[in-house]
Amino acid sequence: MNISLDGIVVVVGNYGSGKTEISINLAANRKHAGIDVSIADLDLVNPYFRTREARKQLSELGIGVILPPDRYLHADLPILTPAVAGLIRKPSTLAILDVGGDKVGANVLAALADALDGKAYRMLQVINPFRPFTDTLKGCMKIKGEIEKASGMSINGIIGNANLIDDTNAGMIYDGYDFVTMVSKDSGLPLEFITVPAWLYDEIDMNRFLCPLLVLQRQLVPPWKKAAVL
Amino acid sequence: MGKILMKGNEAIGEAAIRAGCLNYFAYPITPQSEVAEYLSHRMSEVGGLFLQGESEVAVGYMIFGAAGCGERVFTTSSSPGVSLMSEAISYIAAAQCPAVFVNIMRGGPGLGGILPSQADYFQATKGGGHGDYRMLVMAPASVQEAAEMIMMAFPLAEKYRNPVMILGDGLIGQMMEPVEFPEHLKSEPTNKDEWATNGMDARKSSRRNLVKSLFLDPVKLNENNLILKEKYERMKREEIRYEAYNINSDYNILIVSYGTMSRVCKTAIDNLKEEGIEVGMIRPQTLFPFPENAVFEAASKKECIMALSIEMSMGQMVEDVERCVHGKCPVRWYGKCGGEVPTPEEIVDVVKSYLS
Repeated sequence: MNISLDGIVVVVGNYGSGKTEISINLAANRKHAGIDVSIADLDLVNPYFRTREARKQLSELGIGVILPPDRYLHADLPILTPAVAGLIRKPSTLAILDVGGDKVGANVLAALADALDGKAYRMLQVINPFRPFTDTLKGCMKIKGEIEKASGMSINGIIGNANLIDDTNAGMIYDGYDFVTMVSKDSGLPLEFITVPAWLYDEIDMNRFLCPLLVLQRQLVPPWKKAAVL
Repeated sequence: MGKILMKGNEAIGEAAIRAGCLNYFAYPITPQSEVAEYLSHRMSEVGGLFLQGESEVAVGYMIFGAAGCGERVFTTSSSPGVSLMSEAISYIAAAQCPAVFVNIMRGGPGLGGILPSQADYFQATKGGGHGDYRMLVMAPASVQEAAEMIMMAFPLAEKYRNPVMILGDGLIGQMMEPVEFPEHLKSEPTNKDEWATNGMDARKSSRRNLVKSLFLDPVKLNENNLILKEKYERMKREEIRYEAYNINSDYNILIVSYGTMSRVCKTAIDNLKEEGIEVGMIRPQTLFPFPENAVFEAASKKECIMALSIEMSMGQMVEDVERCVHGKCPVRWYGKCGGEVPTPEEIVDVVKSYLS
């Protein structure tokens, strides 16, 4: 089952849920499928490990990357470049907005309300049940409500991203799938896809899943590790 | 409870709660602000207190006040904020109060930048504030170790009635890793009735306790400093912690490195090993007390031709390495301090440059 997302896709979720890793990999996945992709880094709240870390690889793939101006790349200032509104008004076939964590990170979307007005969009909440505050349905719904209130937009899908980074195993992927399936049924939000790290892919029984799967080539690595090739 | 995925800053906040610390005063600053963000939810869930001070100067004295009353208390900040707290740290050490300070270092001096750095080594280990005081300083290299050191810090602060600092670089605060909070590191606050201003009624005593740092009588001030000195000597005897890596190989170069920088060095050491080049490493887990004997012995190995201090500063820990090596071999420094973390490839090249 392949991921078929296009149009404006807004990736939200709680801090550290994996939004940026997923946004980068989703961009590469859809680009490899032959469609025109752009990605905008809207993470104004997180000082490290942002989309900007992967800009070289993304650009080399021919993916449009929208970032704050170079001289502000390492500032912890809430800089929203006008190019983002431009992307929303004239989106590529797939335009991914990688938003910062929690309601604080989602505030930026309210600033884009004019540009988003009347536009169709998919706003997808990333859920990793191995993170604090999203290990229960109640926790996931609380985050959902807060993000929706801050952004003035509605979440209309979820992404399962169960992982403990290098300590992830197949059992966690299955448990995580069961968890987001439950969240999907209870909330009525469609499960768009789940993720699995590339190094674990061969151990995973694909027949267990009724949704597409995004294979993650890890990009946001500490300096003693190498980012995988997208 | 099994492992969960946490940002270092979140794990630091959670570890303090697990360690029985229910008082947290802080002022936000990148790259440490997520501790406050996290505890703004969590402290209310566990019946604890989080109060944001109007500045780091105020926070320092909130810590002094709470510690003087016998409460477990901690704060977190980053480099410029710790500079502002340093006056209070001196007072807290002089008045012999237990408290835990966390510094998630960013590049300096001045406002510097927000990326990782280890340039507060001198500030932490030699005293950012005035007077003859020391803090017990621990430096984690992973999120797991940060959580464990936080949990260890509170009983250690109480054992010595002295501030303990956890010194992490920005990466420790910002990176995500699996973490669990060991049950065996949970501890109960010790009884502080002997000295804390915790209320005569509360301790059913007619004796007044006095917490102070003012000693106008020169004899008394000297006596207080001798008491402090004895505590620091005891720390040197009882609290040194370090990790030795590849130390049983026939290495020609000894690396001394701490925090996340040491993880880059480990990757470099592993890569060099594949090329047939052996490098050993001592990773101080306590920066004060410094693992003096471990560094001396490792540098004294007859094949060792050089000790290399690798740090994200312009050369601070290298002075301790030189002191401990006692001239057994030349000591060199390598590092960067703008926020860029040296890569494993750079370390490999530096090691090779000294072997060619």
